[in-house]
Amino acid sequence: MEATENTENPLHALNINQTMGLVMARAGLGKTAILVQLALDCMLMGNKVLHVSIGETVDKAKSWYDDILSLVSDGEKVSQIPEIMRNRMIMTFKETGFSGIKLEERLRDLIEQDIFRPTCMVIDGYDFAADSREALVELRDVLNRLGLRQVWFSAVCHHDDQRRSALGVPAPCHEVDDVFNTVLLIKPEGDTMRLDVLKSDVSGVRPGALLTLDPSTMLIQKTV
Amino acid sequence: MNKDLTKVRNIGISAHIDSGKTTLTERILFYTNRIHATHEVRGKDGVGATMDSMELERERGITIQSAATYCTWKDIDINLIDTPGHVDFTVEVERALRVLDGAVLVLCSVGGVQSQSITVNRQMTRYNVPRLAFINKCDRTGANPVKVTQQLRDKLQLNAHMMQMPIGLENDLAGVIDLVTMQAIYNDGDNGQILRVEDIPANMLDEAKAKREALLEEVSMFSEELMEALLEGGDIDPELIYAAVRKGTLSLEFTPVFMGSAYKNKGVQLLLDGVRAYLPCPTDITNMALDLRNNEAEFPVTNNPDDPLIMLAFKLEDGRYGQLTYVRTYQGKVKKGDTIYNGRTGKKVKVGRLCRMHADEMEEIEECGSGDIMALFGIDCASGDTFTSEDINCSMTSMHIPEPVISLAVIPVDNKAQINMSKALNRFTKEDPTFKSYVDHETGETIISGMGELHLDVYIERMKREYKAEVQVGAPQVAYRETITDRADFNYTHKKQTGGSGQFGRVAGFIEPFAEGDYEFVDQIVGGVIPREFISSCDKGFQKSLEKGLLCGAPVVGIRCAINDGAAHSVDSSDIAFQLAAIGAFKEGYMRAKPVILEPIMKVVVEGPSEFQGGVMGSINQRRGMIIGSSEEGLYTVIEAEVPLSEMFGYSTTLRSLTQGKAEFTMEFASYKSVPKGVSEELIKKYQAEKKNG
Repeated sequence: MEATENTENPLHALNINQTMGLVMARAGLGKTAILVQLALDCMLMGNKVLHVSIGETVDKAKSWYDDILSLVSDGEKVSQIPEIMRNRMIMTFKETGFSGIKLEERLRDLIEQDIFRPTCMVIDGYDFAADSREALVELRDVLNRLGLRQVWFSAVCHHDDQRRSALGVPAPCHEVDDVFNTVLLIKPEGDTMRLDVLKSDVSGVRPGALLTLDPSTMLIQKTV
Repeated sequence: MNKDLTKVRNIGISAHIDSGKTTLTERILFYTNRIHATHEVRGKDGVGATMDSMELERERGITIQSAATYCTWKDIDINLIDTPGHVDFTVEVERALRVLDGAVLVLCSVGGVQSQSITVNRQMTRYNVPRLAFINKCDRTGANPVKVTQQLRDKLQLNAHMMQMPIGLENDLAGVIDLVTMQAIYNDGDNGQILRVEDIPANMLDEAKAKREALLEEVSMFSEELMEALLEGGDIDPELIYAAVRKGTLSLEFTPVFMGSAYKNKGVQLLLDGVRAYLPCPTDITNMALDLRNNEAEFPVTNNPDDPLIMLAFKLEDGRYGQLTYVRTYQGKVKKGDTIYNGRTGKKVKVGRLCRMHADEMEEIEECGSGDIMALFGIDCASGDTFTSEDINCSMTSMHIPEPVISLAVIPVDNKAQINMSKALNRFTKEDPTFKSYVDHETGETIISGMGELHLDVYIERMKREYKAEVQVGAPQVAYRETITDRADFNYTHKKQTGGSGQFGRVAGFIEPFAEGDYEFVDQIVGGVIPREFISSCDKGFQKSLEKGLLCGAPVVGIRCAINDGAAHSVDSSDIAFQLAAIGAFKEGYMRAKPVILEPIMKVVVEGPSEFQGGVMGSINQRRGMIIGSSEEGLYTVIEAEVPLSEMFGYSTTLRSLTQGKAEFTMEFASYKSVPKGVSEELIKKYQAEKKNG
């Protein structure tokens, strides 16, 4: 499959060419699915993506890609498009074993030996509740040093925690929303799943705009 | 009378190759009066060490198979398993660890923590095996037990502490200081069998006191009594220290370090005292079994000899006494003449002779009780089978068996060799779950597969020596496939009407990719243009075509052949005519259907120290591999990748040299994928050349 720009891709409504982004939702609402779609979009455009999964196995992360690629390619077998998969590498860490420095150490090894040079990264499972603002800022600096164009995090918010930032970014990220350029929030509303844009410094989408998700597949559907 | 299980130690001795564990075992057997003379592994007397019972082991100076043996030290019974040191035989180590309660990790005082020590330590951790460390070869130039103890902490992350101090090192090694009893112990007599206990040399006393203090401070974490005694000051009862060290060792939070030189007969008896004092007895360990009558629910075995029998066969050997099955009894007991059940096959087995093994000599016994390790005669089973008494049906938790990673074709030179080879393979595959053999139906060759080149090499040698099976070894083969990627029509007439009985058949239709299986035949003939009796002939013709593809001669898979038109002749059409017509039709359509060659892709998992991550990934990239991901496990990184099988030959050697032998890999079949253009062209060229040369 050739790397072509799909102008109908709803993700492009976000115009996210250079960003540090955050996808938030309550547990089980599809944060990883969104991250994987963002990653696949980058991969289809010919970019290398590093998928960092904290607390999950490589197989689990891989199966997300297989499932979503199968959905977007109308059931075409992932094995038949291995070239796209060469644009992805999964790196997993234990919850207690992850730090910006460790990530930099492992990634530099790959970059310097010209094994894998990612331009995009998704970090799934980062513990915003446990880690300090300093740790996050340090991680952002590491990512900048590594020359990544796009980095997406996921974060779990809780129904019973009502703390919000001025922009409406829920806890535990309410005090670090300034670190991110883009913040998306998945919200169930009746039969639909909304993807609210809470913050967007660099995209063409104004804050407050929303995308919707297909609740059965968690694929991003359209802009409203 | 039931045996006192607190007086039983089931232990293994594991180490890096050439750390001297076989010599150590030899000395243990000597000091426990099981043997009456000692021999060196590569000794000039040509006898070889007692535990190396196989001829090949004696010749190579490495231990290939575990040999279980029994001995007694003071008031305890020790079942000792000497395990192999080479990475290719890790299944032996793993099986030994599965049935043992404790282990001695032998290290070379010069080489320190080496690759195999890391692997073995990881395996011990996997099976929660409490361990002692024995730093051997303290008589060698460059010996440094302090450095090795530090390596145990740094590289293996063990809370390792010296229980002793060497008195002199290298050529001056005279004995050791026991930091618990604060005595200097020397070995006298021709074989070091006489222990001479003296006061600590004055020049070493301060250092010994400091080391003892540090040791007591550490082990007091495991005993409040000891901590109180330390706070109170005064003399400390050694029993308090033994109890604290034992507690720390059993909880895997402490690793006592012993030292000496087995070769020079130094320190071995003190190690045996350590085994007695610190390693667990069967009741200290909780082993779990699976209840096969209750959806494989896990339950702990009781160790009670009066409960129903649960016994695991962990090793088979076909030696000079016939078929021997090494078993570990987890609860209950078994006597000569008892009927026991094999949980896997459901078959009843009558117990014949029972014996305790001492390397390759045996001692017959009447009964085997809970916690014991011994051998049964003439039992037909596979390694890993669980035997129980009639009233329960359970299985011991499965053992971690790595999948074979390398295959070779073996060709017997004559008929006699063929018969002997079959016998040998039958035995080897039963004995060793990582060694497999099968007949490749495409090439008709017998393929053997195992854990590495040396692994297979040893079995080939054993076939020759023990079974007189002379075999030639072929190059490793990869099973390629072909398939099509597009639909193509065909319309082919087979016509041979030049006198005599003629042949006529016309077949038209199409071939197309078929994702759901290897092959499908579709009959869309209407109006009887091909008579019904010849439809199956067309199917047969296509199937024959699939046996050898036109690109590289590999079987064709994933194809649908449909016929929708044709013609027949009232006299000249026949079964063979339509078969040949279908073969011609296939040839006509195949090359237009954009055929491709498929190759087996393996899922490869490499586990090694994180510092080698880049190098390992680079080696995978060089082999046309696709890295799926990497995950971190402490100081280790596990790299998962998909790599073509054809690129994996020799990888174990590459990986070893790339990682100083510190990484391991396993691989298993993942899928078939099309080969890149360059490789495809090469395979086609090779096939064409082979065809040309007949």
